[in-house]
Amino acid sequence: MFFTKLTTKSALLLLLLSVISFSACDNDDEEPITETQDFSSQLTNITNNVILATYDDLAGKANTLLTEVEKLEADRTAINLNNARGAWRDARAPWESSEGFLFGPVDTKGIDPAIDDWPVNVIDLDGVLASNDVLTEPFIDGLETGLKGFHTIEYLLWGADGSKEIGNFTDREFEYLLATVENLKNKTQVLADSWSASNEDYGSNLINAGESGSLFVSQKAALEQLVEAIVGICDEVGSGKIAGPLGDSAPNPVEEESRFSHNSKNDFANNMRSISNIYNGSYNVGNGGLTDIILDQNAALDKTVQDAITAAISSIENIPGNFSDAIFDDRSDVENAKDKVLELKQILEEQVTPIISGL
Amino acid sequence: MNKYFVTATLSIFTLVFVACKKDNTEPLPDFSEEYQAGGATTIYTANAFAFATPAPNLNAENLATHLDGDAEFEISFVSPPANISYGLGSVFNNKSCISCHPSDGRAARPDDLNDFSGFFLRTSIPGTDPHGGPNPVPGYGTQIQNQAIFGMSPEAEFEVTYIETEVTYPDGDKASLRKPVYNLKNPYIPMPSDAMFSPRIGPPVFGLGLLEAIPEENILANVDENDTDNDGISGKANYVWDEEFQMMRLGRFGWKANAPSVMVQSAGAYNGDMGVTSPLFPEETCAGQSNCDDQGDDPEISQEVLDNVVMYLLTLAVPAPRMLEDEEIMKGKELFTEIGCASCHIPKMETGNYPGVPAISNQTIYPYTDMLLHDMGFGLADNRPDYLANGQEWKTRPLWGIGMTELVNGHTHFLHDGRARNFEEAILWHGGEAEQAKENFKRLEKEEREAVIAFLKAL
Repeated sequence: MFFTKLTTKSALLLLLLSVISFSACDNDDEEPITETQDFSSQLTNITNNVILATYDDLAGKANTLLTEVEKLEADRTAINLNNARGAWRDARAPWESSEGFLFGPVDTKGIDPAIDDWPVNVIDLDGVLASNDVLTEPFIDGLETGLKGFHTIEYLLWGADGSKEIGNFTDREFEYLLATVENLKNKTQVLADSWSASNEDYGSNLINAGESGSLFVSQKAALEQLVEAIVGICDEVGSGKIAGPLGDSAPNPVEEESRFSHNSKNDFANNMRSISNIYNGSYNVGNGGLTDIILDQNAALDKTVQDAITAAISSIENIPGNFSDAIFDDRSDVENAKDKVLELKQILEEQVTPIISGL
Repeated sequence: MNKYFVTATLSIFTLVFVACKKDNTEPLPDFSEEYQAGGATTIYTANAFAFATPAPNLNAENLATHLDGDAEFEISFVSPPANISYGLGSVFNNKSCISCHPSDGRAARPDDLNDFSGFFLRTSIPGTDPHGGPNPVPGYGTQIQNQAIFGMSPEAEFEVTYIETEVTYPDGDKASLRKPVYNLKNPYIPMPSDAMFSPRIGPPVFGLGLLEAIPEENILANVDENDTDNDGISGKANYVWDEEFQMMRLGRFGWKANAPSVMVQSAGAYNGDMGVTSPLFPEETCAGQSNCDDQGDDPEISQEVLDNVVMYLLTLAVPAPRMLEDEEIMKGKELFTEIGCASCHIPKMETGNYPGVPAISNQTIYPYTDMLLHDMGFGLADNRPDYLANGQEWKTRPLWGIGMTELVNGHTHFLHDGRARNFEEAILWHGGEAEQAKENFKRLEKEEREAVIAFLKAL
């Protein structure tokens, strides 16, 4: 910011000039120019300490997943299988925690479908496994998105009904698993690099919003982007990811996304955490988010938002057992989670959004 | 004084000057109607979701259908049989609507044409089909599907080479245009030597309901096939077969205005682009071919799904232009009309009554298209007729929202196959009836040319 580089004397002169200029306008009955607020500290913090931090974590955890799958392939034990499955869940967490900001390179570079397409194209996967193709990372990279990414890896690690044991794995499945996890690792690194200041630096568009060279015409436009993105994921979890499998009157189990691993509750809760992270400007560390703006304008609303986020997360986590069973056995708990998520969405959409749009 | 001081002081003076000028000189033009580019369907957010938002004035019933269609638009199809989202292929170009219309916007021109992308080639042989449309190539139909489900052969792979041509402005500035030359590689059966090809890339899909709601007579009012007004601009209507109503109708959609409605365009895309059959097109695009594994599961989507997707596409909001009062943008806007762009990219249109969808009915809109075909010259020619559109004619593209392409889609690839790498190249590719307007653009001062582009970026 150039103001920090002004000498004190210059700053005083500038202030004086501004006062004179403003009063000149006042004489013309022109509305006084009100100084617009500067949100660059929030935008910088969200970019670096939430978005980039989440993507860095994702790339790191995808790398750990590769290490664990390599160990499993080399030493095919139940313990190593368990570790690989744990590493998948660990990598899945930052990804789901990034779905509150699905804009920019994750979309324009096609990374979202490449790592999280759903459903798995099981017929073609069986076909590839039965073929003589050599299963390298470039080969997997060239396949359609229903044959790679988180859910293909999940399908290979757990099997269609979640009961796969180490003895059920074929050599071809290990070959496929290694290549597709390496592909996932590469894609997540591309994603982190695309935001990094030392690389493609998409993040500068948010940090420098409103300045020439930024894709965002104003800080307000950048903040609206963030708010619309968290409203979007909230809607998707409530109206899609939970409501789809729950069904209006009867469950639709095939609509559950992470059903092979029974990881759905974690997925949903981490989606809610991504909302919290953007709102509060923190991914473990960081300070300065949308909360600053809401607190300033309506402290009661800020508390409403914080409570609604907490309620959404706990209602998801309080669904008994796994989600696949709960849509049959504990429908009211699932219904309650859906309601809490949609209540949060309504608050974000109807109360938070107008404040940001009114800046 | 340091330079920051000077900058800061100057910007304060500028602010004050502008603020005070409002009182002392002519008032700024009133752009309030033009900001409402989509009438009451307009949204004012300028972010990456600008093309993918429901119109704010939808009634509850239309909105509910829109949201169902939104989910359908994103569905990733898989090979049949499967317990969900089945129906992909056997041959196809991509596997979801959204993959060719990312964020409901414009597909990028892929670096490798055989990657999964929003690009494909249409094809036909001389002659016409029974309705006067393109004559299908035996064994290929009217579109080359360059992907297939595992174990099946794609119809062919695409190949391209580029010819770069330098363009020199009268003031000495230079630009370069890349002309793609396409070929097929590894066709699954021999391709007839007289087959014609036309490259296409997925365009943005917002605002389509408004364009469908423009009364036919309003569009036909600008037809001037024989250029009786001698302005060098003709304007020709395409008339195409409507599979839904089983009759010939005015063509409104597609790069050559070869689809009469969002319904026919969408059902055609399900079938031709993804290999997904619907009640409107219940036969697989690969039917009768050796690379076709028809599971007898047709139609693979229901009429309800199709109706939902059509409602979704009819009712996406149009993003408002930005900063029209900016001095450079105002200048660019004037020049846009002065040099002749607005003769075909007609700014303003009115919609009529659209039964069942009040939100798009009777709106004043600023799409910047006349919805008609124009000869665009040799450079852009595909040399493949499509109903009444000859090998040099293309439909005037709407320009609304075009300035947000980079924000939404991360690129600025324009024209029917994404060959233009930026706004300047897109303008310089214009020829034929637009030759004069392009020459006028080239003769502008550099700052004036930049102002025209600044205006386009504000749309």
